[in-house]
Amino acid sequence: MRLRTLLGGAMLAVSMLCGVAVLAQDTPGPSAGTPGPGKGKGAKGKAKAPSQPAPRNKDGRVSLGPGAAGTGFWGGGGSIIGGAGNLALEAVPFQPWARVLYDARRTNQGQEDDPHVRCMPPGGPRGFQTPNGFEFLEQPELKRIYVVFGGGPRSWRVIYMDGRKLPANDEDRVPTYLGYSTGHWEGDTLVVESEGYNEKFWMHRGGLPHTDALHLTEKFSRPDFDTLKYEVTINDPKAYTRPWTGSFTVPWTYTNWDGTPGGEIQEYFCQDYERDVQLFDK
Amino acid sequence: MKLALALLFAATAFAQEGHPLVGSWHGSWGTTPTQQTDATFVLKWDGVNITGMINPGFDVIKIQKATLDAPTWTVHLEGDTKDAAGKTVHIVIEGKIENVTNVHRRIVGTWTQGTVKAPLKMTHDD
Repeated sequence: MRLRTLLGGAMLAVSMLCGVAVLAQDTPGPSAGTPGPGKGKGAKGKAKAPSQPAPRNKDGRVSLGPGAAGTGFWGGGGSIIGGAGNLALEAVPFQPWARVLYDARRTNQGQEDDPHVRCMPPGGPRGFQTPNGFEFLEQPELKRIYVVFGGGPRSWRVIYMDGRKLPANDEDRVPTYLGYSTGHWEGDTLVVESEGYNEKFWMHRGGLPHTDALHLTEKFSRPDFDTLKYEVTINDPKAYTRPWTGSFTVPWTYTNWDGTPGGEIQEYFCQDYERDVQLFDK
Repeated sequence: MKLALALLFAATAFAQEGHPLVGSWHGSWGTTPTQQTDATFVLKWDGVNITGMINPGFDVIKIQKATLDAPTWTVHLEGDTKDAAGKTVHIVIEGKIENVTNVHRRIVGTWTQGTVKAPLKMTHDD
């Protein structure tokens, strides 16, 4: 009995250690789905109440923000590969090198090389998969929408809504982690075109490869208060043989990331809380 | 000219997580550990072809043929240089990318220049 207790304790310790290692940049788990104002699934398994309608701004268009409640944010989303409506991995039109590289990145050793672990900003879909959440700040008077990310290096992204064109793809354009984005509304869907990405990050959890030719068409919609639908078409002829589309949903989060009340993105800097610092010297 | 070369390096010497060959590589080749010749590769990928140069500068070698076999990460590069007498000498580089997921991945293989064949080690730059 005593031996069993010791073994059990050892296994618990190992599993906790592994948990810390795997989480890397992940701060305490998301509280999406915890009970909010009549929404979400309770921690004790209470039946999920139907979500309320998506909030709307004074013009009648859907808002991607917290609405009148003033609190809450979007948690981390899923994957654009597999699952309902998405391509299975085998159907993703990788160029041969990109598929082999993706497979290598998904191994344990490959995951240690994820730039995000080294606090690099998450461009493309990766930004919406990152723990600590994100929120949209709409500034119609400036004709801009900011996407503020709570995880990683706590970066922010600008979506220009003033009708400007994407800059010409030439030698003078400095490629960036978050690209250059212009957007417009199609009904209640925010459509964003982006280019100008550098190759210093992995654009999707697990390590989907991309090149500097990457062009993303992202569509954000909010079918109900608690759900953000994210759809992205990836057009990168240097890494994929044709454009392809995937999507995932992101849950609205009512609490802080540690589960305490509040519904605010708490201060978190990857550089300060880095738990994989031993990987920096590799 | 030097400024132009410096700018060229500045533009190419940053972390590349895209195509594994793209970017700049530094290393050396030689028949013994003490007789090493420094080498630099600057490689690009246009979606179909790998292009680039070896040792950018006054003695630049334009890469004439470049292939990468993804399943094995086997690299093959060819180009021409000139010897001290001005005679064209063909160069063949064969190697394998190691630790392909890492920004400091390496190419380990051989450098064949004329009749000389020697071990080669190159490391991808940040």
